[in-house]
Amino acid sequence: MAGSLTLRVITPARIAFDQTVESVRVPGADGDLGILPRHANMVAALDTGLMRYRVGGKEQVLYVSGGFCEVRDSTVRVVTEAGERPDEIDEERARSAERRARERLSQGRVQEGEPLDILRAEASLRRALMRLRAREFRSE
Amino acid sequence: MASIRELRSRIKSVGSIRQITRAMEMVATTKLRRFQERAVASRPYSQEVTGMVTRLAGMLGEDVGDRPLFQKGAGSRTLILLVTSDRGLCGAYNSNVFRVLETWLKEHPGREVDYYVYGRKGYQYLTRRGREVERFLVEPPLEQTDYRAAARAARLCSEAFLTGKYSDVVVLYTAFESVVRYVPKVVPFLPIEAGTMQGEGGGKTGGDLILEPDASTIFDRLVPRYLETRIYNALLESLTSEYASRRVSMKNATDAAKTMQNALKRVYNRKRQENITKELLDIVGGSEALR
Repeated sequence: MAGSLTLRVITPARIAFDQTVESVRVPGADGDLGILPRHANMVAALDTGLMRYRVGGKEQVLYVSGGFCEVRDSTVRVVTEAGERPDEIDEERARSAERRARERLSQGRVQEGEPLDILRAEASLRRALMRLRAREFRSE
Repeated sequence: MASIRELRSRIKSVGSIRQITRAMEMVATTKLRRFQERAVASRPYSQEVTGMVTRLAGMLGEDVGDRPLFQKGAGSRTLILLVTSDRGLCGAYNSNVFRVLETWLKEHPGREVDYYVYGRKGYQYLTRRGREVERFLVEPPLEQTDYRAAARAARLCSEAFLTGKYSDVVVLYTAFESVVRYVPKVVPFLPIEAGTMQGEGGGKTGGDLILEPDASTIFDRLVPRYLETRIYNALLESLTSEYASRRVSMKNATDAAKTMQNALKRVYNRKRQENITKELLDIVGGSEALR
C-alpha cells in the first residue's frame, strides 16, 4: 500500500476519532470527496452528513455535522461541531429533534415565518435525519 | 460575658458552618477539575479553527479586510458581553470583573455602551446602578453551557454588530491563567482584526492547495466558527476561574471556622473549669462551716 492516512475528527468536546485508515470519503459542500493516501493538500467545507472511511477493507461510517476538512501531510483533519460513531448516536434525541423541526417547518410555512428560522429548522431536520441514517449502520 | 450554654451553641453552629463550607470546597474542587478538563479538550478544536482561518486569511490577503465582520461598525456604541457568575460565595471573582469594567468605562469616556450579560451577579450589578441590560443570557444556565450555547451567543453578537448599531463588540471575561491566578480581561471581539490573523503563519502553506469549493466560501463559513470558539473559550475560562475562586474562598472560610472553633473551645473549657473550681470551693466551704 502506498503510504497511510491518518484520520482525526476534532470536535469542541473531544477528539472523536484518531486512527490510521486506508481511505476516507467526506460529505463536501458540493458533493462527496474521496481521499486516498498521498492526497494533495486540501481544505474543504463539509456538509452535514455521513463520512465513510475504510479500515481493514471494511467501510465504516461516522456522522459529521458540517465543519471543515483539511488534508495535510497525509493526515485528514475533520474539524466539526459533532462527530459521532453510529453506536454513540442518541436515537431518541434525534427523533425528537426531527419531530420538533417538522413542526416548526409546518408552522413556518403557514405564517410565512422569518426565513432565517426556516433555514435553521431545515438544518436541524437535516442533522436529525442524518443522525438516524448513521444509526442504521450500528449493528455491523 | 457569654454563658457556658451560649458558648456551647456557638461552638456547635461554627462547627456546622465549617462542615458546609468544607463540602462546598470539595464540590468546587471537582467542578473546577471538570471545567478545566473541558477547556483542555476544546483546545485542539479552537487551534485547528484558528489555524485554518489564519492560513486562509493569509491566502485571501487584502480581500479579507473588505468583509463586514472585519470592518469597524457604522454605529458609535459599543456592545459589551459581560461574563459573571450566577451564584455568589466565590470571593472577589465578580467584583474583580466589575472593577475592570469600571476602569474600562473610565478609559473610554463618553462611549455609549450596551450590555449582553452572562450570570445573575452581573445582571444585578448593572440594574442596581440603573444601567440597562440589553440582553440577559440565561438559557441555558451558565454552568450547563455547551458549545452550542456559546455558538448562539456568538451569533447574537455578530448579528447585533451587523445591524450597524455598534462600532465594536468587546468581551469582558475572566482569563484563567492558573489555579491561583485569574485575571478579568477586556478583549476585542468584533470587528476581527485581519492584521492579527495574518501575523501568524500567514502565507505558510501557499503553494498547491486544493480548495473546495473556493477560498472565500470556506473562509466565510469558517469565520463564524472562529468567533464561536472564542466565546466558548471565554465562557469555559470564566467558569474555571469562578470555581477556582470559590474553592479558595471556601477553603479560607473553613480555616477561619476552625480557628474560631478552637478559640471558642478554649474559652469554653476555661469557663467550665472555673465553674467546677467554684463549686468545689462552695462544697469545701460548706463542709468547713458544718464542722
